[in-house]
Amino acid sequence: MAQGLAAVAGDALPVVRKQITQEQLGRYANASGDHNPLHLDPQFAAKTQFGGTIAHGMLVLAFVSEMLTAAFGRAWLDSGRLKVRFRGPARPGDTVQATGRVKSVDGQLAKCEVECRASSGEVLVSGEAEVRVA
Amino acid sequence: MTTSLAAIPKGHEFPPATFTLTPEWVRDYVAAVGDDAIAGVGDSFVPPMAIAALSIRALIEASPLPAGTLHAGQELAFQRAVRAGESLTANARVASRGERAGWVLMSVDVDVSAGGETVMTGRATVTFPVEGR
Repeated sequence: MAQGLAAVAGDALPVVRKQITQEQLGRYANASGDHNPLHLDPQFAAKTQFGGTIAHGMLVLAFVSEMLTAAFGRAWLDSGRLKVRFRGPARPGDTVQATGRVKSVDGQLAKCEVECRASSGEVLVSGEAEVRVA
Repeated sequence: MTTSLAAIPKGHEFPPATFTLTPEWVRDYVAAVGDDAIAGVGDSFVPPMAIAALSIRALIEASPLPAGTLHAGQELAFQRAVRAGESLTANARVASRGERAGWVLMSVDVDVSAGGETVMTGRATVTFPVEGR
């Protein structure tokens, strides 16, 4: 689906793939101000249920937003709505894939299913997005 | 003075936080998340998630997150595109707070405006150990 075109139920959204690195978590921490040691301190994170550092949820969610920007362009910025649950952690070394599809189009409102998965297949983020389309 | 999020009750209203999406900060944010799509939308538009990230940053500075805080859910609604250089104000309130099995589950509602016009609303749900207090 090209950016800005009318959405049709069943359309796949453009896939976004990103590799998570510890360096990226540091850059995101500096930009976001979220210096939670769970993301940055391997010794702290090793003692948690995750056994190591994990990515910020809002970093992973940015990949979903990038996918929706690629799909809907300015309309996503002007009218996007997103509701997600964080279901699993993305870890340094993971390749994360954001995918989605248009579930329905009612008038000008397109409803989409969105998710992120790790390369292991584990679902990291799932939810729904809405956007007004032409 | 800062107060840890762990000590804040339901209904608490955070002090309004005003911040500017400087071009330098936006550039750093886009590089950090590797957003390859925003440049295709138009000159100087800000990724909508950057608005959310900087709003949360302003709130964290006033009320630090307990170590080990996890993000459980997020709702966001964008009302208009925002450009680099705009100044925004975030108002936030603790919408709910509960404890279960040693963990706090807290939802925070946020309204972000520019010149009195809402540009984004959202609800963040986070969880952290009770002992984080």
